[in-house]
Amino acid sequence: MEINELKQIVEALLIATPEPLTEARFNTCLGDSSSRIPLGEVISELSSDYEKSDRAFFIKEVAGGYQIVTNAQFEPFIKGLFSKSGKLRLSQAALETLAIVSYKQPVTRNDIESIRGVSSDSSLRTLLDRKLLEIRGREDGPGRALLYRTSTEFLQYFGLNSVKDLPRLREVEDILAEDQDELV
Amino acid sequence: MKNQLHRIDLEMFEGPLDLLLFLIKRDELNIYDIPIAQITKDFLEYVDLAKELKLHSAGDFVLMAATLMKIKARMLLPIEANGDEEIEDPRTELMNMLLEYKRYKEATATFSEMERFERPHYYNIPATWSPQQEDNTAILEDVKLYDIMLTFQYLIKNYEEPVTHSVAVEEVTLSEQIGFLNGLLQANAKLSFAGLLEKFESRLVVVVTFLAILEMLRNRQVKVKQSKLFDDLLISRGKTFGN
Repeated sequence: MEINELKQIVEALLIATPEPLTEARFNTCLGDSSSRIPLGEVISELSSDYEKSDRAFFIKEVAGGYQIVTNAQFEPFIKGLFSKSGKLRLSQAALETLAIVSYKQPVTRNDIESIRGVSSDSSLRTLLDRKLLEIRGREDGPGRALLYRTSTEFLQYFGLNSVKDLPRLREVEDILAEDQDELV
Repeated sequence: MKNQLHRIDLEMFEGPLDLLLFLIKRDELNIYDIPIAQITKDFLEYVDLAKELKLHSAGDFVLMAATLMKIKARMLLPIEANGDEEIEDPRTELMNMLLEYKRYKEATATFSEMERFERPHYYNIPATWSPQQEDNTAILEDVKLYDIMLTFQYLIKNYEEPVTHSVAVEEVTLSEQIGFLNGLLQANAKLSFAGLLEKFESRLVVVVTFLAILEMLRNRQVKVKQSKLFDDLLISRGKTFGN
């Protein structure tokens, strides 16, 4: 298949896909007419086309796949499409809960609450409702508590390719060292 | 007073640990060597405020206040030298909790930053209807445990009847009461129904016993006599009694 034809196919897939387009999904879509050109290569060709022709969007690598996202400057106009004024921001409590889950997953509600020192029921509910977290089974121990994990939507929301891309959680030793410096 | 000057909105804090970190930072305290008496005093002032405001997390603040007071008390106790055994500082656990919380609080700031950065970018959100959903199996494909729980919760809510009072189940059965009456009649030729009622504590037992009498009457296991309407019932053995 020619690169130009492939570019068109990938473009069509990116517009229609309900979730980030992965290499595996791309191959499934192509079926027998296997491309021999890796998706990443087609994407970078497309990306440079978009850049040259000054499009209002670009291709973002997210959650292990690719998706088309709009440029930031169009936010004021896009907001008009939604009844609420754009995307709702997460509360501090929800962000804290999310941070704990993303670094320690899978975790139970109890794990979260013992770190935050405060009941986290409503934050968890918000995050589940917004599909940023999902329940992945139960703990083996007594009580068989529910285990929480981050979802694909979480990666999309924060523009991450994988959980491994999260900035490193600072070690307690680093914090201590810094605090000591401050005191000196 | 320093504290008056720094009266801040308690709702700003995500919980007791957040408040403690704030106090430590504000007064430039050493997290390694927290002056427990001072921080407990400051903390308690905020807890009173939390109780006043009826903050929904007030309980968590009160719990921390208790922990602080416990640590304070333990620090006042003379340390018993116990051989070579190293005595742990009563503040160690609190310090570890604070440091752990601080790590995630820092990470939260990063998340907030990432959120702010990603916010203006929009992407195609799948519509509620998509061609695949014509197939029933496809609808089920992306259902998460949480979705099922929500659905169940929703359904059960509609199913629930309003409960105004609850009834404890009493274990009394017809055959039990028939056996009970049989036993009594073996010992006594005649039984007074009114006399039986005095022994029973609940209405249900009375009703079931009455049903038992009716059942036994039908089988001719007992005979029942009454001198006049609304008078006491006298129960005696019937033709088939004991069969």
